Amino acid sequence: MCCGPISFHMMLILKFLQTLIGALNSDGTPFQVGAGMAFGLCLGLTPLMSLHNVLILAVAMLTTVSFPGVMLGWAAAVPLGFALDPLFDRIGMALLTNDALAPFFTWVVNTPIVSLSHLNNTIVLGSSVVWCVAFLPALFLFRYLVARYREHIFARLEKMKFFQILKASKLYGVYEMFRT
Amino acid sequence: MKWIRWKALIPLTVVLLLLVLGTILFLDLTVRRGVELGGTAAVGAKVELAGAHIGILAGNVTFRGLAVTDPAKPMTNLFEADELIFDVGILPALEGKVVIDTMAARGIRFGTKRRTSGALPPRPGTAADDDPSAVRKVVDDWVGQVKIPPISLGTLTQTVNVGAISADSLATLRATRSAREFVDTARARFTAGLQSLDARPTLDAAQGLADRLRGANLRTLGIVGARQATSDVRRALRDLDALNGKLEAFERNSRRDADSLGDRLAAIPAAREADYAYAKSLLRLPTFEIPAIGPQLFSGLIAEKVGEVMYWVKMVEKYVPPGLERQMKKGPVRVRASGIDVLFPKEHVYPDFLAHLAELSLAIGGEGASAGEYEARIVGATTQPAVYGAPTRFLLSRAEGKVGPRKASVSGSLDHRKAPMRDSLTARFSGMPLPTMPLAGLGAAVSLGDGTSELQFAREGDRLGGRFLWRSASVRWTRDTVGQPRATTPAMRLVEDALWTAVSRIDSVEIEARFTGSVTHPALAVRTNIADAVAGALKAQLGEEVRRAEQQVRARVDQLVDAKVVEARAEADKIKTLAESRIAEERAKLETQKAALEARLKELVGIPGIG
Repeated sequence: MCCGPISFHMMLILKFLQTLIGALNSDGTPFQVGAGMAFGLCLGLTPLMSLHNVLILAVAMLTTVSFPGVMLGWAAAVPLGFALDPLFDRIGMALLTNDALAPFFTWVVNTPIVSLSHLNNTIVLGSSVVWCVAFLPALFLFRYLVARYREHIFARLEKMKFFQILKASKLYGVYEMFRT
Repeated sequence: MKWIRWKALIPLTVVLLLLVLGTILFLDLTVRRGVELGGTAAVGAKVELAGAHIGILAGNVTFRGLAVTDPAKPMTNLFEADELIFDVGILPALEGKVVIDTMAARGIRFGTKRRTSGALPPRPGTAADDDPSAVRKVVDDWVGQVKIPPISLGTLTQTVNVGAISADSLATLRATRSAREFVDTARARFTAGLQSLDARPTLDAAQGLADRLRGANLRTLGIVGARQATSDVRRALRDLDALNGKLEAFERNSRRDADSLGDRLAAIPAAREADYAYAKSLLRLPTFEIPAIGPQLFSGLIAEKVGEVMYWVKMVEKYVPPGLERQMKKGPVRVRASGIDVLFPKEHVYPDFLAHLAELSLAIGGEGASAGEYEARIVGATTQPAVYGAPTRFLLSRAEGKVGPRKASVSGSLDHRKAPMRDSLTARFSGMPLPTMPLAGLGAAVSLGDGTSELQFAREGDRLGGRFLWRSASVRWTRDTVGQPRATTPAMRLVEDALWTAVSRIDSVEIEARFTGSVTHPALAVRTNIADAVAGALKAQLGEEVRRAEQQVRARVDQLVDAKVVEARAEADKIKTLAESRIAEERAKLETQKAALEARLKELVGIPGIG
């Protein structure tokens, strides 16, 4: 019993490593993995229970972007989202109190379904805007990093026993479903 | 490369269905938690809900077991409701808004006891402006301002300590100092004015000319000399006229200074009266003036009651702001930061929250006079009145009483469509039990029994006004020797007994409190027939004592200020006399020279060929 929490934390770390390896070594192209990670950023940076995240999830599942990449981007962005909340709040507040944008937000708040996006919340708006701005740079950065990784590190990692165990696990099989 | 992953369509559908199913399954719990968290944040004390049911297809919402803690009394519920049923509009819900077409409430009870405290743990740091505790502080400040210290009989048992009256705090000395300083200023200005007038050269020149022409004629002057002399005299007369003009202006300025000085001296008696009152207040001598006694007896209690009304008025003001400006409110509670929800009210759309019609059936349990069934009706309750476009109106009346003919009615409206906000409330209860009211400082309390109570309240912007009235013909008096121990000296015991005898004879009591002003500048007046009796008894028992103490106080004030006042008046008189005499002297010289020159001119113009 005393080892319970340690086992749980270890399991979380293992899962994360599985996600990482699964994403970086899936059969998807570096662009697909990078796109998946860029989409995953949205799930981590913006409050999870938001309407736009359902759309992001649908896009991630229905397009051939790397789903493990989405998971990796999400996992990596969650702590970042918490840390950047004060910044999101300021950005959101600046936009919501901008008179020029008032007609747009008035429409957002008073339009069925659209208003459920909660874009009139400073955190939701600020984090969404930051993600939108960061999307393309993140996509190309991740594509570049995945390509470099595969070229220089993957060959060496593949020979390691730990890596082979992870790759053989059941979770990896689940990822296969969404692999390109 | 293909971009669509068709084989993921089924898993996606499953995920979405799971999301919908999860939402439906947990919707009741989510709404329940939302009501508890949102209500607690809004009220500033615990709000609990036993259960919530959302009928999505039927478009209705049911709350069961709602308990709202009274923020001022954490062991008491403000109200409890057994069941609340709402018919909710579906279309507004798609905009994230709550629009209730009808609302019915059952089993509402007020002031019920709680098993556990409903107080919130204190939060570190200063309360934010939108926090209920910040509103509570505003109201507490208001209450603190209108409370008047109770009648103090104990001070008369002590020797009157006139030494406590400090000269520094006396307004008379400040007024005297101001007058003295002005005397110095006026003197300096007078001296400078006199110098700038510079009358001597003009007067000397005029005198010299007059002397030179004394006894002169055509023979001594010759025709050319006579013409020159005439011209000189006319020029000298013009100079004297100019000097006269300057002297008049100088006199006007001096008179203005004298008037200002007079005003300052005239303010001294009023300041002395203020000092008498101030010094008297230091001794806390009892007053015999009836209008002053009412507030001393009841202002503490009434201020608390008005404060409760004000607290809810301020809370409504906070949650129901006027106009179509952007509104800010705290975002939803979540693991991440809540942020701020910015609302953009707009005409002709659904407000953020609206209850078109709420019909409530209320019950007050027990066998007491207030027990029975009540009905309430609220029309147009909204958080965005400018969007809704009509004021909120409410009405409460008694449907059925348990005991005897009792009447109760409460009505009012909140008009927050635009600034200034206008709120009104009228409540009238007759035949209902009235509170027991302690008489502050007198060690007695009056149980008002069953009677009439009225509350009228109106506010327009920052200004507020209202009236509380309690009237009862069957009062019962009790003496409180525990809360206020009896006096230790026989003399003061006599006074206490006399007061008790005076008030306990009263069978019928009327207490009327009027409050006016603003939150920052409030005023409270209390009128009651108890004050008449108290004033009479106090005057009979303590009149001589108080008069003697007042004389001592006045004598001490006079002693502190008299010398300074006399000195200031003497200085003022001196400068006034000096100014008047110097101006008169200069004017006399000018007139003499002018008369002499005019006489010379008359002689000269009589010479043929000169005039």
